[in-house]
Amino acid sequence: MLLHVVHVTRYQYTPWVENANHVVCLTPASKTGQTLLRHSLHISPTPAQQREVVDSYGNSRCFFSLQTSHDVLRVVADSVVSTASTLQDSDAAERSAAANRLDVPWERVRDQFRYRAGAAYSHAWEFLFASPYVPRDDAFMQFAQPSFTPGRPLPEAAHNLMERIHSAMVYESHSTEVSTPALVALTQGKGVCQDFAHIMVACCRAMGLPARYVSGYMLTQPAPGQPRLIGCDASHAWASVYYPALVGSDGAATGLWLDFDPTNNRAPGEDYVTLATGRDFLDVSPLRGVIRGGSQHVLDVAVTVRPIESLQSLESIDSID
Amino acid sequence: MENNKSLFADLALEKATDIASALAPPALDGHFDELRGRTSAKTAVASTATLSQSQSQAQSAASPAFQSQSQTQSQSQSSAPGQPADLLSKSWTTFFNFLGTDGFHDLNRRTANLRRKIRDNGVTYNVYADANGPRRPWSLDLFPMILSPADWAEIEVGITQRTRLLNHVMADVYGPQTLLSKGLLPAALVQGHPGYLRAMQGVKPAGGIFLHIAAFDLARGPDGRWWVVSQRTQAPSGLGYLLENRLTISLLFPEAFREMKVQRLAASYTALVDGMRALCPVADSRIVLLTPGPYNETYFEHAYLARYLGLSLVEGSDLLVRNERLYLKTLQGLEPVHGLLKRLDDEYLDPLELRADSTLGVPGLLQVIRAGNVQIANAPGSAFLESSALLGFLPALSRHLLGETLAMPSLPTWWCGEQAVMQDMLPQLKNCVIKPTYPGSGMASVIGHTLSQRALDEWAGRIVRQGEDYTVQAYLPLSQTPTWQGEKIAPRSAMLRVFAVPDGAGSWQVLPGGLARLAGKNENIASMQHGGSSADVWALGGFDQTPPAPNLPASARAAPGHHAELPNAHQATPAHAANFLNRKQPVTSRAAENLFWLGRYTERAENSLRLAQLSLQCLGGEDQSSQPLLAWLTVMAVGNSLVLDTVPPATHARRVFERSLIASLTNTEQPTSVGFNLSALKSAASAVRERLSQEQWHVIVRTETDFLSRCAAFKAEGQIAAHAMEYSPVEALRALEAASGFLAAMTGAQTDRMMRDDGWRLLSIGRNIERLSMLSDALAKGFQTGAVFDEGGFSAMVALFDSTITFHAQYHQRRDIPALLDLLVLDRDNPRSLSWVIHTLKNRLTKLATSTSSDLTDLAADLPDPAYWVLTGRDTLLPASGADSGANSDYADLVSQLENCQASALELSDHISRRYFSHATSANHSLVT
Repeated sequence: MLLHVVHVTRYQYTPWVENANHVVCLTPASKTGQTLLRHSLHISPTPAQQREVVDSYGNSRCFFSLQTSHDVLRVVADSVVSTASTLQDSDAAERSAAANRLDVPWERVRDQFRYRAGAAYSHAWEFLFASPYVPRDDAFMQFAQPSFTPGRPLPEAAHNLMERIHSAMVYESHSTEVSTPALVALTQGKGVCQDFAHIMVACCRAMGLPARYVSGYMLTQPAPGQPRLIGCDASHAWASVYYPALVGSDGAATGLWLDFDPTNNRAPGEDYVTLATGRDFLDVSPLRGVIRGGSQHVLDVAVTVRPIESLQSLESIDSID
Repeated sequence: MENNKSLFADLALEKATDIASALAPPALDGHFDELRGRTSAKTAVASTATLSQSQSQAQSAASPAFQSQSQTQSQSQSSAPGQPADLLSKSWTTFFNFLGTDGFHDLNRRTANLRRKIRDNGVTYNVYADANGPRRPWSLDLFPMILSPADWAEIEVGITQRTRLLNHVMADVYGPQTLLSKGLLPAALVQGHPGYLRAMQGVKPAGGIFLHIAAFDLARGPDGRWWVVSQRTQAPSGLGYLLENRLTISLLFPEAFREMKVQRLAASYTALVDGMRALCPVADSRIVLLTPGPYNETYFEHAYLARYLGLSLVEGSDLLVRNERLYLKTLQGLEPVHGLLKRLDDEYLDPLELRADSTLGVPGLLQVIRAGNVQIANAPGSAFLESSALLGFLPALSRHLLGETLAMPSLPTWWCGEQAVMQDMLPQLKNCVIKPTYPGSGMASVIGHTLSQRALDEWAGRIVRQGEDYTVQAYLPLSQTPTWQGEKIAPRSAMLRVFAVPDGAGSWQVLPGGLARLAGKNENIASMQHGGSSADVWALGGFDQTPPAPNLPASARAAPGHHAELPNAHQATPAHAANFLNRKQPVTSRAAENLFWLGRYTERAENSLRLAQLSLQCLGGEDQSSQPLLAWLTVMAVGNSLVLDTVPPATHARRVFERSLIASLTNTEQPTSVGFNLSALKSAASAVRERLSQEQWHVIVRTETDFLSRCAAFKAEGQIAAHAMEYSPVEALRALEAASGFLAAMTGAQTDRMMRDDGWRLLSIGRNIERLSMLSDALAKGFQTGAVFDEGGFSAMVALFDSTITFHAQYHQRRDIPALLDLLVLDRDNPRSLSWVIHTLKNRLTKLATSTSSDLTDLAADLPDPAYWVLTGRDTLLPASGADSGANSDYADLVSQLENCQASALELSDHISRRYFSHATSANHSLVT
């Protein structure tokens, strides 16, 4: 599917901001099942300095600084992404092989991530530990345990966990702040997609399983004959659980990240766009900044995701903006 | 001293070593006795030596065997069979021989000297790190801890290697991560550690040096060997305190210090700064010391080190990032910064990428570091190296990275995140110390053998549930070093902190000395926060040190005939070699602001003191019934907040007024009370301590404490006996007089003992603004209340202008208004005349404008100039001589000029603040969406 995403962030400050340093994480990833075809970032006022970097998770970030006084900051990220549902897009042989092997019991994965001398290492270790927004707490362990029955295949257990989070939690816009930790959301039983994702990540980690936070977008227009999904005003977020070492045809063992969207109780498919992955929201927050002045601000975020026929079909729209 | 003589009289011993022996009980059983160079033990010390081997291949498998080696001590520590049990070690024998029996009698006097010096130098350790928290005087023992040449050689080799190793580990973790992929280092101790900074991944600092300063805590076991207990790399403290300890103690034992060839420290400090400078890309590099600020527990040390090393002491808000480069905000504009010696914990460094709520850091700093545009000591992200858990893995890491075995062992340490290891350790907790693996848990180390069985079981339960959170370390009885306790020598458990710094040739050197931290009596934990003490550390060289080490830069070598002695960090002018580069220290905007306020508060304190004195004198003096005078005193006291405006005026209730004035002297909640001014003065000064001499700081501190304690004393008396109230004006006057004396010393130092740079100019401008405002106001009110027309009021006005003597000399007994105005307004030679003050302000502004290339001409021009005030003739501001009725209304023109002076002073202050300080004060906010 070809998706056009426009993400507009606008800050209005009072009094004016004298100078500012920002970092944005607004470039969609290119990865299995997703290709970034076009991307542009428009920043106003024009930054004095700007630099693109790839962070330790592989996400593209852009640092920029503003040295002149301004009362409005406007950042527009405009992207075109081609998506496929993750496994669908792989070749058929690999897909069936994968489907057959997705039966590894969760305990075996957990044991793989218990340190012993000379233990095999993978990048997934990075997502095993507590992180600023996903602290460790017995409450997560208690919540997760019913899903992780002995011998249950990991994907099945994780799926069950997603279902349970979805039914235990009430989705309520503005019920939490961006800084609300997962534990608070779990305790109050309501939250937004960010909280749902954090809780799922926290539960998996509590069971000793690597899990990460994914920020992105989803197509909220209902497909014909489908019910309208709960949309997110801004960006969306979900969780991703590590499933280890599928030995490919070339003999190389590569892990898989299985995505789960506890907000919508489904596996993300081609109507989802992955922006960035990290340990939790803080690693991938779309826009961070330190400003001097501007003690009060009004924030306005608008995200539009829509399917398009082809890149060419965009050209006419570009002239409008 | 008499009491000392009697102390030793009955000992009847002739040799100092014998006295020492007799006065020193042996160290506790099982502890190494530093004084005697062997372990105090009648029984074997094997209780800790039975820990079994762990089954991990990566964690150290060595079994600790802290055996007592009382029979087999090497070299200097040897205690041959047949010698008396209390024979002292060779080093201590030498020390006491140099001390001599006379010296022994002098120890208490030297202790008193020591205390005084610490107090005078203001060496403090702010225990709770908060603004109002107690600043405890630094605690230092009279005796040094002495390390024999053999001890030192062992430490030097072990620590150099270890620093090299830690630097390698850090380079690997932020580079190829082979240690993780080979399973030599658990991810839980890297990615699972909050101090691992992902933003530093891939960063390669210049010269490959991540660690410019590494601190290690060492302990000597009963076997006489040194063991590494822990390491500090983020922002290790101690380098300033140990220098202060050295300067203090070496002077108290000059002969022993000289003759025992105690290794000198200066070259290592030089090497630290020169090492950073050498890695900076430009020749003319600027290095600054970044402090969290005056509320940090070790702020004393930051100011001290900055002064000693000749670096600007800066806070995060003094720095600014532009285009991935770091700049210092100064009065002269932005100055590039190339090196940062940081005393700030990593997480606070950059609110853009690390803790968003940090107000101590510099937004964008990590980008500067990644771009390689600043050398930073140490590179951020080293905190994971500080975990005790790492110690268990170091032997294998050393073999892998260096191909070497560790020269100095770590205390046997096991991280319980590894199942097999945890299972092994559970039954042995009793013989161990349980430590937190990660910082921030709030957990303090727990000594197993002090716990009940039930408590031990509870700990075992916690470890089973969350093994990775705990690290278990073998319990080591610390060696005990002699301390002087007034009448005897007492052994105290000691932990030694040593520091490694780059040697300029790609490796590291160990600063030949250290900070010994001493446990309290009957304690085995050495911690400054828990009421412990410290000692100077004498590393004996055992060889002639006069030739400089060949790898040191020329600037570090001592001048001929100069015995590589430490430059005195107490001098305002740093004696450090780096300063021969003949560069002026920039005045940071923050320092400038604090100096400006230091000036204003100094003058304000002086004014409020003088006004309070004058008020009390007048209220009790012969003019006490003069109504205009009382009215003037009342408006002045209210205007300057010496009394609240709810207090009945002196014209109505003289005694009540007097009492409330006295009661308010120390009311620090009342802005501009005398006590408030003194404490505001101190806090402005404390923010620029590195620019003030120790003496100057000392006077500032004493002024406040002396004044408060005097006032507290007579207030307490007043409460006990009602009649004592009668005396309190006398006592209050005495306290005010004493404070005036201190203030005179302070202003003298400001005038005479400070570099006359732009910072000083701002201080002077601050003082003169305050003076202009106060005096023009006082004079205007003198006319309004009619006080100047009254004999007592006239004298009081002259006194307030501190011009009594001059007035009498110049005008004899004249009491007319023109004479008064001539001296207090027009006289350019009287430093308190309005003309003089305005003239001085104009001069300072002109000079400041020239060097800061800012346009201040309008400011200078806007100031009123009393020189042009016409006091005679047709356009006179004064009433025609015939019409001089003494009525205040006749002086309306003059009063309005005076009020204009006061308004100009305050306007100037606002202008200065806007022009120079606005960027130093406005705060950063973080945004996250």
